[in-house]
Amino acid sequence: MNTTVSAAGLTVRYGGTPALDGVTLSLTDGVTGLLGPNGAGKTTLLKVLATAVPPDAGAFTVHGEDPATPAGRLAVRRTLGYLPQTPGFHPDFTAFEFVDYVAILKELTDRGGRHREVRRVLDQVGLADVRGRRIKRLSGGMRQRVALAAALVGGPRFLVLDEPTVGLDPEQRMRFRELIAEAGEDRTVLLSTHQTEDVAMLCNRVIVLAEGRVRYDGTPAGLTARAAGRVWSSTERAPGARAGWRTGTGTFRNVGDPPTGADLLEPTLEDGYLLVLDTEDAKHADGTDGTEVAAA
Amino acid sequence: MTTTLVTKPEPTVPADHDQDRDTASASVVALAVFEARQLLLQIPLLVFGLLYLAYVGYGLFGRGEGMDAYPVLHDVDRTTQGGPELFAVALLVCVHRAALLNRRRGLEEQFGVLAMTPARRTLAHALSAVPFAVGVAVLVDLQFAWAALRPGAVGHGSLFELAVAPLTVLLAGALGVLLARVLPHPAAPLVFLLAIGLVTSMLPGGSGRHAVDWLWPVVLENGGTSVPGELLGRPAAWHALYLTGLTVLLVCVAMWAAGGRARVLKAAAAVALVAAVAGVAGQAPGDSAGLQAARKAEADHPAKFQTCVERAGSRYCAYPDWKGWTVDWAGVVHRVQAEAGGDAATTRLTVRQRIQEITDLTTDATLPTSSTPGTVTVGTQWGGNRVPEFAVGVARVLVAGSEHASLDMCDARVVTTMWLALATDPTPTDTFRHLRIDDSLSGSAAVLTSDGGSMSVSAQQTEVVRELFREPHDTVAARVKSHWQELVSPHTTTAEAARLLGVKTPKGPDDCPAG
Repeated sequence: MNTTVSAAGLTVRYGGTPALDGVTLSLTDGVTGLLGPNGAGKTTLLKVLATAVPPDAGAFTVHGEDPATPAGRLAVRRTLGYLPQTPGFHPDFTAFEFVDYVAILKELTDRGGRHREVRRVLDQVGLADVRGRRIKRLSGGMRQRVALAAALVGGPRFLVLDEPTVGLDPEQRMRFRELIAEAGEDRTVLLSTHQTEDVAMLCNRVIVLAEGRVRYDGTPAGLTARAAGRVWSSTERAPGARAGWRTGTGTFRNVGDPPTGADLLEPTLEDGYLLVLDTEDAKHADGTDGTEVAAA
Repeated sequence: MTTTLVTKPEPTVPADHDQDRDTASASVVALAVFEARQLLLQIPLLVFGLLYLAYVGYGLFGRGEGMDAYPVLHDVDRTTQGGPELFAVALLVCVHRAALLNRRRGLEEQFGVLAMTPARRTLAHALSAVPFAVGVAVLVDLQFAWAALRPGAVGHGSLFELAVAPLTVLLAGALGVLLARVLPHPAAPLVFLLAIGLVTSMLPGGSGRHAVDWLWPVVLENGGTSVPGELLGRPAAWHALYLTGLTVLLVCVAMWAAGGRARVLKAAAAVALVAAVAGVAGQAPGDSAGLQAARKAEADHPAKFQTCVERAGSRYCAYPDWKGWTVDWAGVVHRVQAEAGGDAATTRLTVRQRIQEITDLTTDATLPTSSTPGTVTVGTQWGGNRVPEFAVGVARVLVAGSEHASLDMCDARVVTTMWLALATDPTPTDTFRHLRIDDSLSGSAAVLTSDGGSMSVSAQQTEVVRELFREPHDTVAARVKSHWQELVSPHTTTAEAARLLGVKTPKGPDDCPAG
């Protein structure tokens, strides 16, 4: 698959503290999940790729356009849909007006065509019935869908979504997954999330970021495979486990290096993620499926 | 929740870089239209817009009688400027608020990654004032056209004066946007306006005052009477250039503050700066020596500048702008003269239009009284009270011989004058009251005359005049003509006039004994 977004050595420092530390990656069409703990640099990476924040070092291209130049930046922005972590709204606008406003800022100039496009994306996110309602009268989930519609309007080829499912109930989250999956069918979607199940269900690729560095870049299956043979069940918390918690059945689920004869369990993506985040474990990474970068 | 399957979107963003400029311009216009629509929903703009509409509507449909039926167009043009001032202030506040909205809602970063740059968004905010300026221009033109189409309209308006109101609205929009970019606080517009008002009100008068006054968008200079257009001395064209240049300059600075660095922006700013400076330089000097000399010449020697026409045996001399009114003047002269007796009924009069020598357009003073026999002075306003005032002016010349000779009238001639002036008026008593400065119908009072001065009418004369209007017109008219010589004699008292005219003699001492 062709590379659509390519970044090398992206570095951003906030007051000397690196938020991104030499991130190198490349994206293709489809949904790529971006996982990482709080403070890992996910939002900073998304802001950089969305041209909201210029990198202190490094470079990247989107569809071959270099945003370091004004012309390139404009070209990138014309292909971009960006849903920030906490999207803002004009509460007195209707849903239609708000998305229409964003469409204008995306330089959709033909009024008739623009209005058709706005109706299309509002239909797509399931807000056709409330498009004339003021945003201040919409629920939190509906507002989030308005924000997604604003990101989708104009058919951007590169969609940057920063934790779009935060605060949504399970039904809404499921609806969002459908929308994101649909969006990823013909464009590049970079989805930052804390929800490993989002990644498991949606993404054909996952990048794990920690302390501003890429810890894992590969398939979700590969990340899950990192935990193969390293998840086990026990009646007591295992002292050698990197992580362990009591499950609903009353037994403990442990992740780490199991003792001999342990009752091994089927690993999940979250297990792999936890292991990749673990500094000691990362040092032993062998990159079976996907690229792992050893922690410093 | 239901899933809606939809077709894949067609990319609607521009792909061809050659179309970048067109696309960017079109998107600025699209955003300006969007913002203008949002502005329409702003309460202050709605309120002041409706107030302005009501003001214009009242001017168009609620008036039209009296002096409004005889507009002087080179005065009417600038009276259109004051109406939308509050609307412009409301627009300034609302545009400022709209330009700050994304910032207030924390959307700057979110929208900062969209294709339209902040500088172009700033331009769109400024352009959102254009529909309102166009609306104001339409209303201004409507006001002026309404006045110009009146049969009594005289003079010529100035396009530059008519442009001031819409330019002021544009300037307000530009100022609102600029303040949003450099003073991003909701109270900034009002604080700014208060500060400007305070500073300018504290500036001393003097020769430099004119230049400072003309820095304001609207300089009405109302209050005085009309003068010929060539004596106005208003630098309307320079002022329009100044407003245009200033507006464009403010927009350019706002775009600069928003990050705009395009060459075309720098070029536009440079041109606008030159235009604004040229406008200021052109409007600053004030009245030239030549203009002041012309004002003095036209006031002191009106005959040199007027054209005269003969109508029914009398001569009517008017400044070129006012020659259309000579028909109305002749109508009054004919009506008044028809009530006179003796030689006065056929005396050849000269009606001479006069202006006072003005130092500025707010000067309002009485005209010089003519000592030339048979000459009646008329001003530059007509309609309403000016008509009976002129009738009094005509009558007193017929009775006393000249305006100067009528100044010390305090006898039967005052009664005769008032009768001649108002005898054929459909509501003589009401008109008599309106002519009196205190709007009374008893006691002594001054009666206004066509030169802007007044004529004293004593309490007894008032009583006799009032009684005359109660009598049948033809009866009194016949008595006036038959006793004409006595009634125009300075030796006839008010009481004797009453007796001659067949009304009861006023009681009490004669407060104006014949000399």
